[in-house]
Amino acid sequence: MTVKNFLKDRCLLLILHGVCMCLLAAFLRLTGYEAANTGLILIFWTLILLVWLGTVYIQRKAYFLEAGQILEKTDQRYLLGELLPDSFRLEDKLYREMIRRSNKSVIERIRQIEEEQKDYKEYIESWVHEVKAPITSISLICENGRRRWGKEGASEAFGTACLENQRLENYVDMVLYYARSEEVYKDYLIQETNLQEAAYEVLEKNRLLLIQNQVRAEVSAEEMVYTDRKWIVFILNQLLLNSVKYRSERPILRIGAQKGKNGVTLVLEDNGTGIRQEELSRIFEKGFTGSNGRNHERATGMGLYLCRKLCGRLGIGIRAESEYGRGTKIFLEFPISNYIKR
Amino acid sequence: MHIFVVEDEPVIRRELKILLENALYQVTASESFEEVPVQVQQARPDLVLLDVNLPGESGFDICTGIRAQMEVPVIFLTSRTDAMDELTGILKGGDDYITKPYQAPLLLARIGAVLKRTAGIKEKEVLRLSHKGAVLDISCCSLFFQGQDIELTKNEMKLLHLLFLRAGEFVPRMDLIEYLWENQIFIDDNTLSVHVARIREKMRTIGIQDFIETKRGMGYRV
Repeated sequence: MTVKNFLKDRCLLLILHGVCMCLLAAFLRLTGYEAANTGLILIFWTLILLVWLGTVYIQRKAYFLEAGQILEKTDQRYLLGELLPDSFRLEDKLYREMIRRSNKSVIERIRQIEEEQKDYKEYIESWVHEVKAPITSISLICENGRRRWGKEGASEAFGTACLENQRLENYVDMVLYYARSEEVYKDYLIQETNLQEAAYEVLEKNRLLLIQNQVRAEVSAEEMVYTDRKWIVFILNQLLLNSVKYRSERPILRIGAQKGKNGVTLVLEDNGTGIRQEELSRIFEKGFTGSNGRNHERATGMGLYLCRKLCGRLGIGIRAESEYGRGTKIFLEFPISNYIKR
Repeated sequence: MHIFVVEDEPVIRRELKILLENALYQVTASESFEEVPVQVQQARPDLVLLDVNLPGESGFDICTGIRAQMEVPVIFLTSRTDAMDELTGILKGGDDYITKPYQAPLLLARIGAVLKRTAGIKEKEVLRLSHKGAVLDISCCSLFFQGQDIELTKNEMKLLHLLFLRAGEFVPRMDLIEYLWENQIFIDDNTLSVHVARIREKMRTIGIQDFIETKRGMGYRV
């Protein structure tokens, strides 16, 4: 609220006063009143008007400043109706009441949506757990089938079924982690984790896919970090699937780890398609598929987005370097907290 | 080794039984979920695989019941992936906690590890394998032939190990590569050929000729 705005708002009042002053001056002059006295009356009138306007201005300014500060300080701004400072003015009271009522309905709506969302999330979680039973059955059937019919052609069919089942499993996992990424504290188990073992776990889990795609992998990540192992395995799995999806003719994967001053950095390096320089900054955005993704029908733009989100929750830094046509490096930076260092 | 399986999904139960039996375990799969601790006590297994979500009593409670009666290692199998559940599982006295869907090799490896740890069983791994006069010594990573020996790298060692284990039959390339991956050697098809060529070269230096046969589209045989 500036003086100019304030006066503009009061322009009708000012005009009214101006007109009244003119009329009074004319009337006094016509009735033969002295010019000097008329001038004096007009000067006092103006002074009184100025003092009045000034007081009102200061009051209003203070009121809205306070309201503005309250709005700034609260994190739930829709509660403003309850928090507005008291004012004797009728208009303020009326507005306050209206804001309060409007906010109340907003709050009710939010509660309802929160409730629905919670129900939905809980359903998704339980659904994921239910669907894992049949996935397990299929996985076991395929595994047994591969062994039983190893010497006949059926082994290949079981292998393919196994791979498809794993894809299904990954999609299901993505849903679960997406649902959970909002409230990670519910599912957190920070423990000393050997990055080498986590990398081995991911590679072994995907060995059929990797072998089929002629991938070679080298791992030297013998470093300990404090983190949630399951989440790291999930993140590595997404990164690895990306590397396989955008692979080159003779794909090589390198997983390494270095200990620095501020923490441990895990590097996953591939020699695949790489990412165009202009797209590099956007790959972690939700739904971003880029030119690589558009050439592959199965890109959803969710994998890396989830990775960044989960990393954020775990306090891990994630960034990418890439040279188009040469390969991509993804860095995961695990900070070392001083108070958990033994 | 006798494994007792408590799993309420009939298909998983059946396939798990087949898988474990193929891995040369003796398996008892319970079909009713009442008085599981008593059933376990009667069966006297070396290991119990216990599903967490069961009709009626939860796996955690059953574990407590089993623990009250006997000291048998328990591995929880579950489709729940909450960290809290995992913690509960360990606190209730479980020896390991495996989430569904599990991969067969991983499951077998974890079972093996628990058995090794709890029963103090030394896996009766044969440390020396011999075939056609050549002796593969696993403990010192070497191959002996007529008084001469060559040293092998870890990769070559593992490769020969599987060929020796399945001596006389053609081992498909895919099987070899998978076996190596299970042993944390992550190679591709071309690299396999390179390794085999290198082994042949090494063997020639101590006078072993035509030891590894190649059959196109089939694999290798010793």
